[in-house]
Amino acid sequence: MRGVPPCSSRSKSRSGSRSRSGSGGSREGGGTMVPPSQYGIKYAGHIISSHFGDLVAKVCECLLRRGPLTHQNIVRFTEMSASQVKNCLLVLIQQNCVQAFSVEHPGGVGDTSRRSTEYLALFDNIIHRMRFPKFVAVVSQELDKECVELFQGLLQHGRLTLEKMIDRAKSGQEDSTAQDATREALSKLANARFVEHCPDPEPHLSPPSEEAPARKRTKSSKMVAEPETIEERVLAAATPMEAKRFLIIFDTTTEEDGQKTGDSFLGVGEKRKSDALESNKELGSDGEQVLWRVNVQEFMHRFRHKACVENVRERLDGGAAVALSAMLEISKSMEKKVKTDNSVPLSINTIYEEVMKGEAGRAMTLDHLRASLVMLGCEKGVDESYKIDLKNIIEQAQNEEVESIVLKRYGQEAYRIFRLLSKANCLLETGKISDTAFVDKKEISKILFRLWKDQFLHMEKIVVTGPRQTQFLLWKVDKTTLWPHVLDEMYHAVLNLNLRVAYELEKENELLNLPIEKRSGPLEKRYNRLRTVRLLLESSLMKLDDAIMLFHDF
Amino acid sequence: MGKRKRPDSKVPALSMTEQEKIVYNLIQSKQDLGIWSRDMKRETSLPNNVVDKSLKSLCSKGLIKEVVTVWSKSRKHFLASEFEPSSEITGGKWYDQGTLDTEFINFLKDQCLKHIRNMKIATVDMVANAVRRSRVLKNDCSSQEIGEIIRALILDNDVIEMRSNGLGEFASVPTGRMCYKCRRSPDATKEPRVGAMASIPCGVCPQIANCAPGGVISPTTCEYYSMWLDF
Repeated sequence: MRGVPPCSSRSKSRSGSRSRSGSGGSREGGGTMVPPSQYGIKYAGHIISSHFGDLVAKVCECLLRRGPLTHQNIVRFTEMSASQVKNCLLVLIQQNCVQAFSVEHPGGVGDTSRRSTEYLALFDNIIHRMRFPKFVAVVSQELDKECVELFQGLLQHGRLTLEKMIDRAKSGQEDSTAQDATREALSKLANARFVEHCPDPEPHLSPPSEEAPARKRTKSSKMVAEPETIEERVLAAATPMEAKRFLIIFDTTTEEDGQKTGDSFLGVGEKRKSDALESNKELGSDGEQVLWRVNVQEFMHRFRHKACVENVRERLDGGAAVALSAMLEISKSMEKKVKTDNSVPLSINTIYEEVMKGEAGRAMTLDHLRASLVMLGCEKGVDESYKIDLKNIIEQAQNEEVESIVLKRYGQEAYRIFRLLSKANCLLETGKISDTAFVDKKEISKILFRLWKDQFLHMEKIVVTGPRQTQFLLWKVDKTTLWPHVLDEMYHAVLNLNLRVAYELEKENELLNLPIEKRSGPLEKRYNRLRTVRLLLESSLMKLDDAIMLFHDF
Repeated sequence: MGKRKRPDSKVPALSMTEQEKIVYNLIQSKQDLGIWSRDMKRETSLPNNVVDKSLKSLCSKGLIKEVVTVWSKSRKHFLASEFEPSSEITGGKWYDQGTLDTEFINFLKDQCLKHIRNMKIATVDMVANAVRRSRVLKNDCSSQEIGEIIRALILDNDVIEMRSNGLGEFASVPTGRMCYKCRRSPDATKEPRVGAMASIPCGVCPQIANCAPGGVISPTTCEYYSMWLDF
C-alpha cells in the first residue's frame, strides 16, 4: 500500500499560528462586527482625507479602528476639540459615512438607566464614494439628463430634501418649471430605486439580551442562527420600512389628501408603522422635509448581476450568459439582499419569454436554452423549473481572480498546484499533488513552501510511527483565511494606485497649467505621456474596484 | 535464535561486521522504498563515519545498491540488492531517469487538446481512441493515462469538465457521462484572462508587505510602477 498511512499524531497547524493581516485594532463598544482590514481602513482614511480633509479623516479613522463611540470618547481619542469633532461628525453624517444611534445603559441598583448617543462609521459607504462614476454611468444609461443632474447633486451633497433639490435646479429657470422638472426627475429616480429615503437619524438600539428574543419572532430561523453585528443591527433599525423607502408624495393639496395617499401605499400589516407615521406627519403635509439619498444597494444588485453574467460569458459561452441574464432580470425584484445565494425557481417558459426580448436571445431555440441552463449548473425542479446558484458563480469568479495572481506571481506549475488544491478543498499530500499536477518531485516542495510562506496555502504535518516514511506534509487552500488576506492586499493596491495617480499629476502640475498653445514639441510629448499614464492608472483602478466588490460586497 | 539473523536472508551473516549488519538489516527492512543515508544515521544512532564505511563495504559486497530518487538529485539513497526501486523512488511512469518527462507530457497534452477541439465534446475514452488511431506514439497510452493528462489540462484551465445531458452539443455523449470541452479556440491567446489584481504591479509584487507611503518601498518610488508607466 502506497497511500498515506493513518496518522498517529498530527502536529498543530503552523499556518494557524500566523497572524492574520486582516485583523484590525482593538475595539471599544464590543459587538461581533468583523473590523475592516488594516489596508481597508487606510484606504477609507485616504478617501475621506482627500474628499473632506485630514480632520474629518482623523475622526473617521478613529471610529473605523475602535468601533462605535460617543462624542465624548471621540474627543478623548482624537485629542481634538469638542466642536471640531462635532463638525466632522456632521460632515460624515451628511455624506452617509457615519450613522448615529442611541443605546441604553442599564443603571446599577437604585440608578435609572442612562441613554447615550454613539457614532458608527459605515466602512462600505466610504468605499462606495470611489464608485460614484460607476453609479452615474448606470443612471445615464437608463434615465434622462435631468435625472442624471439631480442624481449627481445627491452624490455631491450626500442627502437633500426636495426643497433643496428644487433650489439647486432653480438657477436660470422659472420656479414652477424647476419644481415640476425636479419632482418628475425624483419620481423617475425613486421608481428605478436609484434613490431612497434617508435612514432614521438616530435609531434606538436596545441591549442585546432583550433584543434577541424579540428578533426571533420577526426573522426566519436561519437568520437568527447567525449572530448579528452591531453595524447590521443599527442599519436594520435605521432603514425605513420597504413601503416607505421609495415613497413619493408631493403634497400640493391639503394635509388630509396627502395622508390618504400615504396610507394607500401601506400594505396590510403595516398598521403599527402607519400609526407612527401619523403621529409625526412625516409624509403627508411635510413631504418636502423628507431627506433623500442615493440607494447604493440597488447599484450593488446590478453590479453583482453584471459580474455574474460576465463571468459566465467568459467561462462558458454567450448562450449561458443570455440565459443567466434573463433569469436575473426576472428574479431581481424578488431579491431581498445583495448577497443572494440562489435565484427563485423559474419555469422554462418564463425564462424563454425573457430571453426572446433580447437581440442575442432571439436566435435561441428552446433546446439551446435547456443546454445552456444545464451548462450553468441550474438545479432542475418539478414542472421544468430552474434555479441558479449565484453564490457558486461568485465563488468561481473569486477563484479565478486569486488563481490569476498565483499564475503571475509564482508561474504555471504553482498555478496548477493551487487550482488542484482549491478544487479538492481538502488536505493533499505532497507526492499526490506532484503526481496529479505533473510537477517534478524535486521542484514541488520549493513551490509549495513558497506559496505557504506567502499565506496562499495551509500546511499540516503528519508524523507516522511505522517502519516506512516518518513524516508527511499535507496542503490545502484555506479560503477562510486566504480571501481576507487577498482582499487586504487589494485595498493596499488600490490605495497605491490612487497615490500614484496623485503623484503623477502633481509631478506634472506645471505642465497641466500651461495653456494649450504653449504645449508643443517635447512638452506635448510629456503631456501625452501623462494622459496615457492617467488613463491606464484610472482604468486599472476601476477594474481593481470591481475585484474588491467581488470579494467584499458580492 | 540470532536476533538479527533473517531466515530468508541469502547472505552469510558472518561476512559482515556487527555495524554492517545493523545497517544492512535496516536497509533491507525498508524493502523497495529503500532509505536515505541521513535517515539511516538517525535510526541506527551510529556515528556518521561508521555508517558511511559500512555503506561502502556493503556496496562493494553487492549486498546493497545506491539509487537515484526523484525527490532529490543529491540524496544518497540505498536499497537492498534484491529489490527494484518502487515508484515512490523512480517517480513512476511519467519519469525518465529521475526527472519528470515534461517533453513527452506536453506532447501528449497537445495531442489531447487537438482531439478534444476536433470533437468539440469528448469523453476520456473518445480521446484515448483518437490518440491511438492517430498512431503518433510508439507505445500506446492507456485510457487511464490519457485521463491523467486531461486532468492536468483541466488544472491548466485549457479544458473544462462537464456532465453530459445528451442535448444539443452533448448529443454525441451518453447522458450522465463526464465529458470535456476546450476552453479557448486555438487562435485565442493561451493565457487565461488576467485578473484585475494580477494586471497591476502590486498584484505580482513580492515586496507588497513591505510597501508603505513614504517608506523605503513606496508607490511613488516603486520601480515596478516606473517600468509599467514607461511610455
